[in-house]
Amino acid sequence: MAAPMALAGCGRALSPPPAPGTLADLTWPEIEAVARGSAVRFAMWSGDEARNRFFRETVRATLAREFSIQLELVPTADVADIVNQLLNEKSAGKAGQGSVDLVWINGENFRTTRQAGLLWGPFAHLLPNRQLYDEALCARDFGTPVDGMEAPWLKAQFVMAHDTARTPTPPAGFPELRAWMESHPGRFAYIAPPDFTGSVFLRHLLLDFGNYAPGFTQGFSEALYQEASLATFAWLRAVKPLLWRKGDTYPASPQELNRLFANREVDFTMNYSPMFASRAIERGEFPDTVRTFVFDSGTIGNYSFLAIPFNANNPAAAVVVANHLMAPEHLLPAMRVLGGPYPHRLDALTPAQRESVAALPRGVATLPDTILASRFLPEPDAAYLSRLEKDWRAEVLLR
Amino acid sequence: MPARHSASTIARGMAAALIAVLALLPLATLAVQSLARLWLWPALLPPAWSVRAWEDTFRISSGVLPALGNSLAIAMAVTLISLLIAMPAARTLALSPFRWKSLVFFLLFLPILAPPLAAVMGLHVVFLRLGLAGTVIGVVLVHLIPAIPYATLMLVGSFSRLETDLEAQARTLGATPMVVLRRVTLPLLAPGLAVAASFAFLISWSQYILTLLIGSGQVTTLPLALVAAQRSGDQSLAAAICLLFLAPTGLLFLLVGKWLRGE
Amino acid sequence: MRPALRPIVTLAPLAIVLLGLFGGGLLLGLLQSVGLFALTGSDAFTLSHYRALLNDREFLVSLALSVWVASLATAVSLLLGVTMATALHYGSFVGASRTRWQRTLLQVPLAMPHLSLALVVLHLLSPSGMLSRVAYALGLAPEPSAFPVLVQDAASVGILLAYVWKEAPFLAVVALTMLTRVSRDFDDAARTLGATRWQMWRRVHLPLVAPGLVSASLAVFAYVFGAYEVPLLLGRTYPAMLGVLAERRFSSVDLIDRPAALALALAMSLIAAMLVWVYLRLARQLVGERPVLF
Repeated sequence: MAAPMALAGCGRALSPPPAPGTLADLTWPEIEAVARGSAVRFAMWSGDEARNRFFRETVRATLAREFSIQLELVPTADVADIVNQLLNEKSAGKAGQGSVDLVWINGENFRTTRQAGLLWGPFAHLLPNRQLYDEALCARDFGTPVDGMEAPWLKAQFVMAHDTARTPTPPAGFPELRAWMESHPGRFAYIAPPDFTGSVFLRHLLLDFGNYAPGFTQGFSEALYQEASLATFAWLRAVKPLLWRKGDTYPASPQELNRLFANREVDFTMNYSPMFASRAIERGEFPDTVRTFVFDSGTIGNYSFLAIPFNANNPAAAVVVANHLMAPEHLLPAMRVLGGPYPHRLDALTPAQRESVAALPRGVATLPDTILASRFLPEPDAAYLSRLEKDWRAEVLLR
Repeated sequence: MPARHSASTIARGMAAALIAVLALLPLATLAVQSLARLWLWPALLPPAWSVRAWEDTFRISSGVLPALGNSLAIAMAVTLISLLIAMPAARTLALSPFRWKSLVFFLLFLPILAPPLAAVMGLHVVFLRLGLAGTVIGVVLVHLIPAIPYATLMLVGSFSRLETDLEAQARTLGATPMVVLRRVTLPLLAPGLAVAASFAFLISWSQYILTLLIGSGQVTTLPLALVAAQRSGDQSLAAAICLLFLAPTGLLFLLVGKWLRGE
Repeated sequence: MRPALRPIVTLAPLAIVLLGLFGGGLLLGLLQSVGLFALTGSDAFTLSHYRALLNDREFLVSLALSVWVASLATAVSLLLGVTMATALHYGSFVGASRTRWQRTLLQVPLAMPHLSLALVVLHLLSPSGMLSRVAYALGLAPEPSAFPVLVQDAASVGILLAYVWKEAPFLAVVALTMLTRVSRDFDDAARTLGATRWQMWRRVHLPLVAPGLVSASLAVFAYVFGAYEVPLLLGRTYPAMLGVLAERRFSSVDLIDRPAALALALAMSLIAAMLVWVYLRLARQLVGERPVLF
């Protein structure tokens, strides 16, 4: 027990934090013992009020009761802010007294933090619940190899929604969408990137014009980008006059687009959460004639992850919190309240857990899991995303 | 003549109507929205009423109350520090002749006339190294940049109307400097101080971008919570927070209203 | 205390704030914008970020938008503010008690942060907002898109309204405070001498309120020019007002963009100061005397 006792001091201001190797020598109960009594500051995207409330009320209480860990939420409107802050802390030499212990992250933010050496790890192999996830699907995060520097957490998949009372048959692909826009000018809008839902719409177009080439997930290819983005931007410029407000301005967030959709200003909305429409119907925000749909060619999905910053005060406690958040004991109640596709491999679960997953409320507007799984398209490399967002400003917005 | 008289009556009536709309329409729309449930186009009135948004506002876990606490603490600290710094400076600027006076006035106007955004962005890196970024103290410091010039300039006005003879008389009658300050100077200055304090409070209270830059998302104040609620699409919650946001400054300005009007 | 020391001692704390926080911040910003004092990478002096601004279309369009919004907001606020003040001042001859309530109401918007007014404007003017619903009820706009675009619009109507809502009453209060200082006897004397209301206004009152209004409206102009949260909620994706653009670039994930963002923010401050100076010169020609600043 000498090692846990020595580590127990790292609760506050012992700098730098222990190397991941130190924890590797411990058994999981020993790690839990080290983590007891410390605080974990968890940086979480704060755009979903229901999620914030669930964390502040339920998750906090569970962690305090079962692990004696005090969870403090660091709400952030944009995870890039946290990345920025970590970069600043690194350059200011704030080792071991970081402002964040655990961060919900993926994609370009992961790539930036990993490249800049802002992460503590590898640590994912320490987590017992890591094995509940599909190894192959979680090996890369937007093309960047994960290598245990972050642990998989939630699954997201892009869907669109239509109101069957207004638009009985939704378009089956981008050519059909364009034809629909031509016959219904001003009734479609996409969200302005860098909002991540707006950004995934652009990425899907890019994949479509790049014929879903496998190269998209294998690093960045300038030639592939040039070829696909040329057609993407030409398409977007061509439909600009047909957009809501003639492409003069764009909704800034999925919430804003949902409001436009509910108020009948546009006829489609889109989201990264396949169950968003069902939840909106339950809250009475959408009529119950709304349904989600995806294009025949597929729809982009991804996993989001949990990472520990290089200067976390309590890596051991962060590891314990991450493992808890990845557990069925957390995910099942969370999905019951918040919805969302269940992220684990079903064959890794106990029969009772499988039943609970099957019994999760899906809502009337959600597509069956089989359809979502069969249409799953992996995210292209994060480098495509940054280029696409930057070039969209010059090629579409400023035109 | 009667025709002209009635024309000016109409003009006065229109001005009165405009004043009433500017003052009361915001409060009315926000109050209705905060109590509305699922109020979609084209309904003129909410189809159903609910206190859900207010419950959410006052639920500890919604984070609105901590934001309110932060806002109050920051604005009160900014007000106090602003007055402590502005009072002696304003007295000197108003009453004592000295060489660099116009330079001081020029420096006082700069933060008002050139947006403080650039200065705060420049400070950011130093605040990070000093550990002030992401702290309430750091936020108070940057709020002082716009608050102090306003407080000082307003107090210069009050001091220049101050009748210093009264202070001199009190001193002649044997009053100690503390007694003069408490019994003569402060009562004479009270209206000016109250107005300057209200403005310093309002400037800090309304601050959004400086708090966001230096608070690094970790110091949440009421305006930040308000924008977050609006962006998350919960308009009723945003309206309720907005009314909460309006209450303290509204009360303050009602209290100092007659001095503000120069009565 | 020696009299000579008194200014130094009483002004020192003020100087620390003005020179240390504000001046120091500008200086640090300047250093970073020319490639020194960098967060990442090595220091190397460069003016490239400033040169890039001159060819940056997004910056130039944003600048034009900020000048447009700030000028128009100031002009409309002045017009409405002076009108309200005049109506109240002359109204008080008829019956002081009747204008008392109006004077109190006039101060209510002063206590409202612009952010709250931005929310109100969104609520009233957005395509599915209150006004659009009234238009629907009257049969004027069968669907939201038939309602004129008044928020996130090309003319910035929404942003303008959010500012005028508060600044017009502010300028009215400034004007009223000055008018109340005029002796009532002075007005009576002018009237006994047969001055018409228009003459009294033009010859007596306007010259009295003009200097104060010039300085107050200068502050309004500078404030709107540096706006952030109102255009964030009520502005278009492109072009954005300068404050929004500066913040967007400052907070970009790429730290390499930060010196460029500081160059933009400093250029914005410099341009604001220059515009204020131009405004002061114009005002002096119009008002004829040196405006009193507060």
